[in-house]
Amino acid sequence: MDSHFLLRRIHSLTGVVPVGLFLVYHLYLQLYLHYGAEIYNNEVNSFYDSPLATWALVIVVYIPLLFHSLLGVLLVFENKVQPSYTYFSHLLYWLQRISGIGVLLFIIAHVWNAKLGPWIAGTWGTHFEHLSSGFADPETGMLTKTVYLLGVLGAVFHFANGLNTFCMTWGIALTPTSQKRVRSFSFLVFIILTASAFYALAAIW
Amino acid sequence: MSDTVTFKIKRQNTAESSPYWENFVIPYIPNSNVISCLMDIRTKPENSKGEKVAPVVWDSNCLEEVCGSCTMVINGKVHQACSALIDKLEKPITLEPMSKFPVIRDLIVDRSRMFEALKKVQAWVTADGYHDLGPGDRESQSIQEVAYKLSECMTCGCCVEACPQYTQKNNFLGAAAISQARLFNMHHTGKNITDQRLDTLMQEGGISDCGNAQNCVEVCPKSIPLTESIAEIGRQVSGKIWRNIFKA
Repeated sequence: MDSHFLLRRIHSLTGVVPVGLFLVYHLYLQLYLHYGAEIYNNEVNSFYDSPLATWALVIVVYIPLLFHSLLGVLLVFENKVQPSYTYFSHLLYWLQRISGIGVLLFIIAHVWNAKLGPWIAGTWGTHFEHLSSGFADPETGMLTKTVYLLGVLGAVFHFANGLNTFCMTWGIALTPTSQKRVRSFSFLVFIILTASAFYALAAIW
Repeated sequence: MSDTVTFKIKRQNTAESSPYWENFVIPYIPNSNVISCLMDIRTKPENSKGEKVAPVVWDSNCLEEVCGSCTMVINGKVHQACSALIDKLEKPITLEPMSKFPVIRDLIVDRSRMFEALKKVQAWVTADGYHDLGPGDRESQSIQEVAYKLSECMTCGCCVEACPQYTQKNNFLGAAAISQARLFNMHHTGKNITDQRLDTLMQEGGISDCGNAQNCVEVCPKSIPLTESIAEIGRQVSGKIWRNIFKA
């Protein structure tokens, strides 16, 4: 059991727990966008009422996410491009890597836009107004909306397909039949989370 | 059907020299395969420009898709040349040596890395000494059925050639070796050194270098359930992580 092996297993684990679960929780919170500014802001801000909120975020989200991203970026460049093998799983293999890079860029932009930017400007706390005014901006609104749409789609795909490969990596789904079942399940997760995320964004479109 | 077949062959004179493409046109013979066509080229080694050239060399042995030695990349996909039928291939037919192994000459590659991988995972049954050990344990029917399929592996290299994770720069053991480790971990006597096999597979180049692209199982000429083997070894090492942390 060397570090090469352990780091890759931790990479696989952190993608689902806690990063993947955080994504699901995060998308769930966004559904409150339909209830208007006050309820949405309260719902988000109430998380920060806990004295451990920042610690929880750092330990449960930021460190695992940073680890998953950094190792993930290294993993993307250690393989060979072989376009003549046109199999569906091979396509998913590349989509997983492309979406990983895309989502990483999106998260950097998203953390800056929704967290660090407002925090520096001293306007942090009015999440709903910040988000909806960004979407409604006559000049950059369309760009922001497109980036959010693609970013969310990429994140949901990366998570759903990651569940599928997680089950193979850890030996949860063994036979081709069970691997097909897991793939159907991860497709269902993809559809449900995409629908939920797009429905949430529709509130401020 | 035209009365000639054109071959576009990636050639290389020595292990160190750089590769080049050469075309050959030979008469079409119904039901021929890539090896029989290469034999035809050898009888009159003339390229499509009419120049006399050194005959194309290749590796082959059994000619019935059991030994794995004639494995090459045919029209972009890896396959045994002996069982690649001309009537089923798109023309012109391109032939390349496998890209994951060092080329020796033309279509001959050095697959030593695959056999070294079998040694690393100890893909054998250990028998200690010459004394009579008595009859071995009986295998159940269900284990026989799985083991027979796995034992058909001929270490041809298709799985690793199609694998995006297996490159000449890394030391990934590849699907074939992982599947053989599973086969011998199932065996009554072979399972005695299960932990040693798993230790090897839990290092750089082992099971964690699999990227789940699943090309291996698609191209395997023997239809060996390689992704099932990878998942099974994945499960065995998952258990071993647990044992290493809490029982060691």
